[in-house]
Amino acid sequence: MEATKTPLAIPSDWLADFEAASRRPLLLRLRYAFIHTHKPGLDDGGFRAFDTLADYRAWCERQLPAWLGYGRV
Amino acid sequence: MAGFEYRQALEIRDAFARHDVRYLFIGKSGAILLGYPDTTQDADLFPERSPGNGRALVAALRDLAFSLTEGEAAEIERGKDFVQIRSGPFDVDLVFAPDGIERFTDAWARRVDVEGFPVCHPDDIIASKTAANRVKDRESLPRLRAFRDYWIARQKA
Repeated sequence: MEATKTPLAIPSDWLADFEAASRRPLLLRLRYAFIHTHKPGLDDGGFRAFDTLADYRAWCERQLPAWLGYGRV
Repeated sequence: MAGFEYRQALEIRDAFARHDVRYLFIGKSGAILLGYPDTTQDADLFPERSPGNGRALVAALRDLAFSLTEGEAAEIERGKDFVQIRSGPFDVDLVFAPDGIERFTDAWARRVDVEGFPVCHPDDIIASKTAANRVKDRESLPRLRAFRDYWIARQKA
């Protein structure tokens, strides 16, 4: 018996985005993807190192505005 | 700070290869290399944590014109869990111990090669974002999971 293809349950607008991106060469994908926007607090330091990722997450919650979305749920 | 560019991605790939750095692109920058259409501003790299790889990583970053003090270099060489550099030619996060991934070698075995760029498998990118569980991860995960399904279907086609 021939296997039937299960259609992907992906919203049509997302699927259109994925298909369009798949047709772009890597150079163009990166050109469209990397956009610098200043993130207050995050982009104001030069070098930061944290012993644990939990320390970094806690720092984000203390130092960054909530609207940046770095707080844990 | 200028945005990260294709040329810089190539420079990372080539400098890290010259110095034999073992690393993977992870996070949204990794997903974008796989074809995920979204925006970000920094390169998230998951280097293997070992003294030799740490030294190679520092040498590669200096080749890329990152001005690192001896103290900063030592922190990278030690492989602190998370290092964020906003003072170089582009923004980079070094994530030595990403949430949701047990060992570098596991992720390395599952890696995807994209034109010479070593990239975490979409399942590992999703696992790390799921475990991080930040507001921005919660918002992006449904679309990223849909992309994973799309990407896997394309690999099988």
